Amino acid sequence: MNDALLRIDDYSLSYTTAHGSLPVLDGVTLSVAPGEVVGVVGESGSGKTSLAWAIMRYLAGNAIEHGGSIQLQGEELTTLKAARLRALRGGRLGMVFQDPSAALNPTLTLGSQMLEMLTRHRGVSRGEARRIAIETLGDVDLKNPESMLARYPHELSGGEKQRALIAGAFACRPACLIFDEPTTALDVINAAQVLELFGRLREETGVAALYISHDLALVSRIADHVCVLEKGRIVERAPGRKIFAAPDHPYTQSLVAAVPNPRRRLVAESEIAAHANARERPPLLTLRGISVDYGQRTTLARWLKRPDPRFRALNPFDLEIAHGEIVGVVGESGSGKSTLAKALTGLVNHRGEILLDGEAVSSTPRGRADYRRRVQLVFQHPDGSLNPRQRIGELIGRSYRLYGLPEGETLSQAVARSLEEVRLDPTLASRYPHELSGGQKQRVAIARAFAARPDVVICDEITAALDVSVQATVIALLLDLRRRHGTAYLFITHDINLIQQIAHRVAVMYRGDRVELSSAEELADGPKHAYTRALLAATPTIASSARVIDDEFSAPTMDQE
Amino acid sequence: MNAGYVGRRLLTTVYTLLVVSFLVFAMTQLLPADAAVTLLGNSATPEALASVRAQLGLDQPAWWQYWHWFSGVLSGDFGQSMRTGQAVAPMMFGALGRSLLLAFLALVLMLVIAIPLGIVSALRRGKAADLIIGIISYVGISLPEFVTATVLALLFADVLGWLPATGYVPLTEDVAGWLAHMILPTLTVSMILVAHVSRMVRSEMVDVMASDYIRAARLKGLSSRRVVLHHALRNAMLPTITIVALDVGYLLGGIIVVEEIFAIPGIGRALIVAVQSRDLPAIQAGVLIIAATYALANFLADLAYAWLDRRIQYA
Repeated sequence: MNDALLRIDDYSLSYTTAHGSLPVLDGVTLSVAPGEVVGVVGESGSGKTSLAWAIMRYLAGNAIEHGGSIQLQGEELTTLKAARLRALRGGRLGMVFQDPSAALNPTLTLGSQMLEMLTRHRGVSRGEARRIAIETLGDVDLKNPESMLARYPHELSGGEKQRALIAGAFACRPACLIFDEPTTALDVINAAQVLELFGRLREETGVAALYISHDLALVSRIADHVCVLEKGRIVERAPGRKIFAAPDHPYTQSLVAAVPNPRRRLVAESEIAAHANARERPPLLTLRGISVDYGQRTTLARWLKRPDPRFRALNPFDLEIAHGEIVGVVGESGSGKSTLAKALTGLVNHRGEILLDGEAVSSTPRGRADYRRRVQLVFQHPDGSLNPRQRIGELIGRSYRLYGLPEGETLSQAVARSLEEVRLDPTLASRYPHELSGGQKQRVAIARAFAARPDVVICDEITAALDVSVQATVIALLLDLRRRHGTAYLFITHDINLIQQIAHRVAVMYRGDRVELSSAEELADGPKHAYTRALLAATPTIASSARVIDDEFSAPTMDQE
Repeated sequence: MNAGYVGRRLLTTVYTLLVVSFLVFAMTQLLPADAAVTLLGNSATPEALASVRAQLGLDQPAWWQYWHWFSGVLSGDFGQSMRTGQAVAPMMFGALGRSLLLAFLALVLMLVIAIPLGIVSALRRGKAADLIIGIISYVGISLPEFVTATVLALLFADVLGWLPATGYVPLTEDVAGWLAHMILPTLTVSMILVAHVSRMVRSEMVDVMASDYIRAARLKGLSSRRVVLHHALRNAMLPTITIVALDVGYLLGGIIVVEEIFAIPGIGRALIVAVQSRDLPAIQAGVLIIAATYALANFLADLAYAWLDRRIQYA
């Protein structure tokens, strides 16, 4: 342990808030040997990002350190002078950030942002730095490196930006690099390329790395050792390969259990049989040739013969959803999956036909209101979809006011029952959204949708912003509600592992087209379309990391069954 | 910068000016002033009035008058002053030149003072320096220019006797004299703008300094100077440019008051004289010139914005 490159010893940190001192890191001890990759896994609030800031010596003004040491190659960082620190940062101690779009200055070219690092840390002239930058970009398979240097960040794709940033960090010859969720903001396939690049550069340079992520499946695949961080403490440290197969600590076990495993279906097979019978009835929802165009062409633009700015976000799309069926829609950002949700709920104009119970939706106000009641939508970000100035009771009560109370119930009784149905304390009705956690807010959004007694609920990435353990409970809740009310779901997600667990059928979207529509079994046996295969290959799964998962550890998600 | 963007902005500017010319003309039509009466006085005979009206084209329909006036404007002819009988254009453009010099000085002085003040108070947010700059700024914002002007004139001209209180010396005759006469008006005009713009720079700078890309720049190991001046200032200046362009409109309004107080023969004074003597061609020319200056300032601001932030051109 003495030859450790980065060494953190009994380090503690807290933040001073209006409500007193908030402990963030508690006696953290870890070390990274030369050439080693150590993963740090934890959920939001575990302190994993604070750990990165502590190492980079970039702490918020209200941070208070309570002893412990952080050493890089034997040099103590916690007491380092500012000038020495600047020489280290970006040089021997580099960092790669979560969102490459946010980490790049929008008003400076990529070249200017790469060159300033190289001249600073390699001590070369601008001309030489330029040569190195071009060589580096070419090295990571970015096309036309010369013209790329002259481009502004908005002219590059997210994957290109992140690859350029990683290449730049490596080009400064670091001893240790800190990666803070470098693939979270990227699409699956871009993320896979970035990971591949990381693996290659690491092998070539032998750099040591601390890889911070919430994604246990991903970290266990690339890290030599994984540290599991819970509420500021490292509760388990184990080799990457072992952590899935045999997690020791109960917290790690619950984390592993919550990771979606495509092999483990959460919808009982008997239900699928029942669902086959349901198909005899007319489908609940029929979509015929639904397509959406964005943008509009002004008369002036037409006169001036400007190029048509309209583009098709969704090509004609057909789908039938049976009563009680869960249909998954998977795709990357820009694939048209959220556009589909917006079209179905009338948030954007569309062409094509929507049938409800085999009949065209009436265009009378009453008919439209009936459709809106029966087809409900839950959004990705509850912060955006819950009015911050309304209490939870008002938010849910609004559905009852619009669509009528169940017989024999008062408004407050109905709201209380709604909250109980989503396993929230009925007293929360008098709270405001900001007083709730992310998972609780999403439950409120679900309760609001179900207060309308819908036949189908469209879930647009509703778990994407949640921690994996919270995601598991929200999914369990949805399945429970479906069992009670027979609700169908159109479940939109980028997570192909998750969708394989719960969907009866899965539609795969790519650039506005539905490239595949398969049953879950067909998808598991082997997808038909090349894009689906690429998507599956790029997705790290728990199954590819560990073969055996004890059923006992699956408790949190299975208790509803 | 792509030519299409510049062309589009230019087209918008020209269109704005067309609308303004129409409004200016319509306004003078509505004024309760009869040009013939203004020229000949109240005791003129009806025959004399009628012949002057025919001579000026006042008996023609409004659209014809507009076209007559507007085609003149396009060739640089704003008509004859009713007060002096001389051509309006050279008089107004001469006044405009003196005003623009004053405005330019005020603008430069304002930027030189306001941007560093804004940066310092943003970087030392909540510290004593920020507080003091803040208090001075708010005092500056809340004082109208006629108060500032009077106080400055009292202090520097009457009490200290360092500078002349009023008057104007042409730049071409005596540079030092010109400068001495310009210092107080320039200070007065820039005072309120300094306060306004430094607050703007401060709040933008605070936001930008908290952004992810500034954090990334710091963690690259760049010096504070480079982070602030190269990475942050550029972004903080973007909304500020828009504000400065809007302030040019204010500047032109403020100049009218300041020119009157310090007796500088600029466009503001010329306009006041024109209004007082109901000199319609001079009023039209003055308003149109001020509007054109304002439109041009906004056009330049758009170009500066697009040059600093290349994403703009695609919007």
